[in-house]
Amino acid sequence: MTTDSAGRRLAGALHRRPRLRLGLLLAAPLTWLLVAYLGSLAVLFLSAFWTTDPFTSDVVRSWTTDNFRTLLSAPVYRTVALRSLGVAAAVTVIDAVVALPIACYTALVAKPSRRPLLVVALLTPLWASYLVKAYAWRIILANGGPLDWALGPLGLHSPGYGLTAVILVLAYLWLPYMILPIHAGLEQLPANLLDASADLGARTWRTVRSVVLPMVLPSVAAGSVFTFSLSLGDYLAVQIVGGRSQLIGNLIYANVTLNLPLAAALGTVPVVAILLYLLAVRRSGALRSL
Amino acid sequence: MAADDGTAVRLTGLRKAFGATEAVAGVDLEVRDGEFFAMLGPSGSGKTTVLRIIAGFEEPTAGTVELAGREVTRLAPFERDVNTVFQDYALFPHMTVEQNIAYGLKIRKVPKAERRERAHAALSSVRLDGYERRRPAQLSGGQRQRVALARALVNRPRVLLLDEPLGALDLKLREEMQVELKQLQRSVGITFVFVTHDQQEALTMSDRIAVFNHGRIEQVGTPAEIYERPATPFVAGFVGTSNLTNGFSVRPEKIRILAEGSPAESEHDEAAGTVAEVVYLGESTRFIVDLDSGGRLTALRQNLDADATEVAAYRGRRVLLRWHRRHNFAVVQST
Amino acid sequence: MRSALKSLVAIGVLALATACSSTPAKTAPDGSFTPPKLTAQQSLGAGEGQVNLIAWAGYVENGSDDPKVDWVTPFQKQTGCQVNVKVAGTSDEMVNLMKSGQYDAVSASGDASLRLIASGDAAPVNTDLVPSYQDIFPSLKLQKWNSVNGVAYGIPHGYGANLLMYRTDKVSPAPTSWGAVFQPDSPYKSHITAYDSPIYIADAALYLAKTKPELGITNPYALDQRQFDAAVALLKQQRANVGEYWSDYLKEVSAFKSGDSVLGTTWQVIANTAQGEQIPVKAVLPDEGATGWSDTWMLYSKAAHPNCAYKWMDWITSAKTNAQVAEYFGEAPANQKACDNTSDKNFCAEYHAGDAAYYQKIAFWTTPIPQCVDGRRNVKCVPYADWVQAWTAIKG
Repeated sequence: MTTDSAGRRLAGALHRRPRLRLGLLLAAPLTWLLVAYLGSLAVLFLSAFWTTDPFTSDVVRSWTTDNFRTLLSAPVYRTVALRSLGVAAAVTVIDAVVALPIACYTALVAKPSRRPLLVVALLTPLWASYLVKAYAWRIILANGGPLDWALGPLGLHSPGYGLTAVILVLAYLWLPYMILPIHAGLEQLPANLLDASADLGARTWRTVRSVVLPMVLPSVAAGSVFTFSLSLGDYLAVQIVGGRSQLIGNLIYANVTLNLPLAAALGTVPVVAILLYLLAVRRSGALRSL
Repeated sequence: MAADDGTAVRLTGLRKAFGATEAVAGVDLEVRDGEFFAMLGPSGSGKTTVLRIIAGFEEPTAGTVELAGREVTRLAPFERDVNTVFQDYALFPHMTVEQNIAYGLKIRKVPKAERRERAHAALSSVRLDGYERRRPAQLSGGQRQRVALARALVNRPRVLLLDEPLGALDLKLREEMQVELKQLQRSVGITFVFVTHDQQEALTMSDRIAVFNHGRIEQVGTPAEIYERPATPFVAGFVGTSNLTNGFSVRPEKIRILAEGSPAESEHDEAAGTVAEVVYLGESTRFIVDLDSGGRLTALRQNLDADATEVAAYRGRRVLLRWHRRHNFAVVQST
Repeated sequence: MRSALKSLVAIGVLALATACSSTPAKTAPDGSFTPPKLTAQQSLGAGEGQVNLIAWAGYVENGSDDPKVDWVTPFQKQTGCQVNVKVAGTSDEMVNLMKSGQYDAVSASGDASLRLIASGDAAPVNTDLVPSYQDIFPSLKLQKWNSVNGVAYGIPHGYGANLLMYRTDKVSPAPTSWGAVFQPDSPYKSHITAYDSPIYIADAALYLAKTKPELGITNPYALDQRQFDAAVALLKQQRANVGEYWSDYLKEVSAFKSGDSVLGTTWQVIANTAQGEQIPVKAVLPDEGATGWSDTWMLYSKAAHPNCAYKWMDWITSAKTNAQVAEYFGEAPANQKACDNTSDKNFCAEYHAGDAAYYQKIAFWTTPIPQCVDGRRNVKCVPYADWVQAWTAIKG
């Protein structure tokens, strides 16, 4: 069998050359990473230094730093950038606060046989379309809508469309991305550690504070990378429930149409913010649990 | 509530079911103050569950747990004066060695200076001076084991529970730690309740042993009682190698191997047979002999001056096995 | 496309695509420009089996919104051209979609058409290949928003005004002036809505033209810096009362339904849809007049399906179809014979079709350029790029 022996020879040759094997394995994904992923980021950054024909909106490839100068000089961009960071931070904090007890329940308290089902249940919102969920919230938050009706007896009202609504909806949308890493982190937490803490005299709350929280913190940070960057990049929720407010994503979206270089310059803002955030998170060691 | 009568742990009618399976099926046991007590049994025999019930990690389905005369059956772990050394040590990975050891003291609001002092002393008692700032990940298995020990002992509990504490160590380290643990127990004077599946370990270290099987205790006694006079075939089989023939039994090392036709001795029993298998163990050799009367006996002989080739030549040879009658022990068929 | 990185990647790819596109037109100092040299198709070939359109909501109806409203199915049956439509909410969106190169034709308003011609995205149209063109109102032919130097760049579709819509049960008295949405101490604070596009600055300018004559605004698309600043200031003041801005017409319908919006700018088709859903709304043309649109079907210069696109341009501007669209959307038809085909015989009179005098009151959307389109030569007007920046700042 000549083909068989050729195949064997090839396999043998590959076995003796681990570098070649690795190269063959990674060639396609690395090409994708370099061309499609880093390449487009590079083009984005490059195009931020171009300008547009003011009438036709066509991109004119002449080198200028005007776009960045505009970003730094016009107060509206600073306001919107800070507002976006604030929203992303608020969403992240809300998600962490909501996700921790839920994940504690699904990973530690619930019967082990039920846990997979609970995790699936928590993921079900991800099966629905983003737009459907966002429009559902538009109805929930509407004047005289379900939220108004539910809060009515307490003498409260729906926050209506606006930043509060945006934070609420984004926190809802990204919650599974926070719960999952925390759930995984807690599941990996050896049960013996909780026993050991109780054994050494700690009551439940003390164990949560001194053992569970410090150990699950990297998972929270990992989840926050999702919630923070997803919030920072979002522009649809704002359009649907944001009322008259706009975030950095809206500015990018609005300018992609007419002033691509400015949109690209604006686009570097969340990239820089997320990079800084990742650096900060890396120091906490959380990237190891991503 | 019973008074403190020198009993460290008293278990009465203890049962624990997990769903349909009964892990503990009626256990009564008393551990005396200051005792080094072993709970010995194969895996799944219920010994670890009993330990976890004493610690408070599990609630029994029925029965009571008393610690020093006080009933604690329904109390949480943090309400009991016991501490545990876990099989995998369960050290807090995000804390330093010192923070691990001082954790229990901190919870009990021991002042900082005293905390430090006691942690250092505890670390010193397990011969780990200077390791305060290390993280558990930076320690070897044996070192972690000692930190776990120090973390439990620093609280000066009434009873220290140890769940297979040496199970994860290699043989040499385990033998060292066996001696060390025993010395430590003598010096601190705390009651140790110790779970193991290793009969050698139980025999070496314990004052008394409870042998577990299928959620029940088969026998409680000193190592010598358990070894020399096993109460049930299970104990006889689990502790040491057992030779079970016609209702009596004899330990392999008690049997001498003689040439056929050796002159008879008084007060001795004997049996003739053929060597079926020879197992060379280095320090000794195990001979498995098919008896002419039916059945099989294992005899152990120290390799005083025999070497491997010599003993191998025994295979197929006719031999006479002889032992003193006082080594016979009867075993009651367990129900 | 919701993670930041992903959308950035998308932008990057887009950048790459636009970077490789054609060089733009040269704009002459007098405001006229020479479009890239393109020639119109000389003859009509067989249909390509499909056509991809960009359109305003309500222009390309195939019965999926309302089974009775369908002029796409007969077209498909007759020509064999399968119609794919992308609904756009603003002119800017249309310009951008055209630049993607995936569409054959667009229903461009006046503030998009010239940009498309200048960038070379729109091709000259051979009107001889469009029989319906003969019946188009002469007043709409070869106008400055659909032709350059006497060359037609599309077929007129229809025209209308941006209206003021209000909830009849919540707004009283009934508004007759745009002042209702611009007055600072509005009783409808947080329930006012406005169109989410830089071109909406013209609505403020139109209102100022009537209420602040000292500014000297004659054309809301020709604003010098002082006039522009006044309009922007008015809109910043209005923002405090705005509940939300809309560019998606379904979003506006839902806001009026819930009462989150009770008063604001609209299109007739939105008012019709809302009334169809039993929402108590009314749309009026306020005293100050209004901004409006005059739409033209334009052809992409590198259209993949030009023959089907020609067939569509003829179909949609033909007397019968044009009447259907006009009645459904609520605008004046471009085809004069459409007036004989409307179900409501007074329709053309109501919408003043062909009434040039009436449409003097409507300021049709036009792209603002530095050379003031009102003919002033002593000042420079604020170009659309600055309108875009200002709109960002207005929304804050």
